[in-house]
Amino acid sequence: MTKTRRLFHEELQDLTHDVARLGALVRQAIEAGTAAFLAGDLRDAEAVIVGDRAIDQLAHSVESRVSDLLARQQPMAADLRLLLSALRISYAMERMGDNMVNVVKGTRRLYPYLLEPPIQDVISRMHEQAVAQLDVAITAFVERDVNRATALEDMDDAMDHLQHELFRLLFHTHATDDAAIQTAVQVGLLGRYFERIADLTVTIGERVRYMVTGEFPFEEG
Amino acid sequence: MTELPSIRVGPSRSPASGPQEDKLPSSEPSVSDPAEVEATHGPSVFRVENLFFYYGDHLALRDITLDIRPREITSLIGPSGCGKTTFIRCLNRLNDLIPGTRLEGRVEFDGESLYGPDVRAIELRRRIGMVFQKPNPFPKSIYENVALAPRMNRMKGNLDDVVEESLVRAALWDEVKDKLRASAFSLSGGQQQRLCIARAIAVRPEVILMDEPCSALDPVATFRIEELMEDLKNDYTIVIVTHNMQQAARVSDRTAFFTVDTSQGGRTGVMVEIGATSKIFTAPSDQRTEDYITGRFG
Repeated sequence: MTKTRRLFHEELQDLTHDVARLGALVRQAIEAGTAAFLAGDLRDAEAVIVGDRAIDQLAHSVESRVSDLLARQQPMAADLRLLLSALRISYAMERMGDNMVNVVKGTRRLYPYLLEPPIQDVISRMHEQAVAQLDVAITAFVERDVNRATALEDMDDAMDHLQHELFRLLFHTHATDDAAIQTAVQVGLLGRYFERIADLTVTIGERVRYMVTGEFPFEEG
Repeated sequence: MTELPSIRVGPSRSPASGPQEDKLPSSEPSVSDPAEVEATHGPSVFRVENLFFYYGDHLALRDITLDIRPREITSLIGPSGCGKTTFIRCLNRLNDLIPGTRLEGRVEFDGESLYGPDVRAIELRRRIGMVFQKPNPFPKSIYENVALAPRMNRMKGNLDDVVEESLVRAALWDEVKDKLRASAFSLSGGQQQRLCIARAIAVRPEVILMDEPCSALDPVATFRIEELMEDLKNDYTIVIVTHNMQQAARVSDRTAFFTVDTSQGGRTGVMVEIGATSKIFTAPSDQRTEDYITGRFG
């Protein structure tokens, strides 16, 4: 193999590494953001918003390196699929980060109210589910594991159930004061954000499958 | 008229793959069902079956089976020594001129055996044009380079018109119309290559074979030839051998990947797979293709 080509393949490895690192940053944001939200801690919430810039920067760095490698190396086959997947996956991760920013912004809107324990419990489980799915997505990408990538679709059903459970709890609250309405709206939105984060892990799974097999699993859907 | 030397067209021998009858259709990677291909593309221009080619005792190509479809660009890619040039020269019997060569298997051109006893060299070369790596115009005027073959073939029609039409088709007319009597050598490399293409199409062939037609050209001249190929494929079937994978990816409809096989001692060319160019370059079926086109080979 020529030196130029060897460097190219090293750059592909670096890129893979950085996509995984991006996933780790998003994972941290989900953990810290959920904790801040549940505790109603404005300072910790602010830290997650600031931390999102690092996620955006790394995602943009991945994008610009992909575009550079496409232009200079004219990658083919598995290399091409890796670059296209890295682009889409890093975008999905960046979107997860944005959804987490929306979650923590809800902390300000609810302040100083705290949520009822049953609702807190569902949110906590949604966060655990999101983290579990993200872990599987990152591992599937790094290990080029089609089975894990495919499993994400089934895992995502659990998140849908949690979202239904959350909505059920909201409708069982009969309070009609402003605080209760505001809480219901924020919690409803929050359910939506977690559901989006989980959806994005399914997208990552699809991209991993394309990266490994060269087949478009998302064509029918 | 020149008779081509007779060639022994023996029954196909398949030391590599065993008897053909035992093979399932799916074990021939990416060679589509001929009936299905014919329905969508019309009959194949070339149908090559179990082709073996020898230089003396040396087996240069082993068991090549592929179809070339009409009005498509088929590119042949692969590392040096994989036999892609030898193969393309089997398609117009150019290897016949090399002493000690031998071909086994079947090559059909328009449904007739290309190596049959009645095939005549001049007729064959009229129907199958060829463009070589280095532009090789005759040491004559631009006009004569294009006019020579139609005149020899006693083609009907006004020779001036044939020359103009051919030069227009080859995207060279505007650059040379005022100096048709100038020597062909006064042209740049890229222009000379387009002149050679004009010369090839002047006799209205059915097929144009191109053996690395751009490897001696700069990028601008290369892009002009590639544009020209795209235009020519409306009327002609083009087979191109290229070292430049990006070129194959840019211009061709189908791509065949050849490689060197050393598993049986010696260095023998084999075809690994043939398929739609977009498939070959994004998701090839065979690991050897993958390794070659991603630069993990050699």
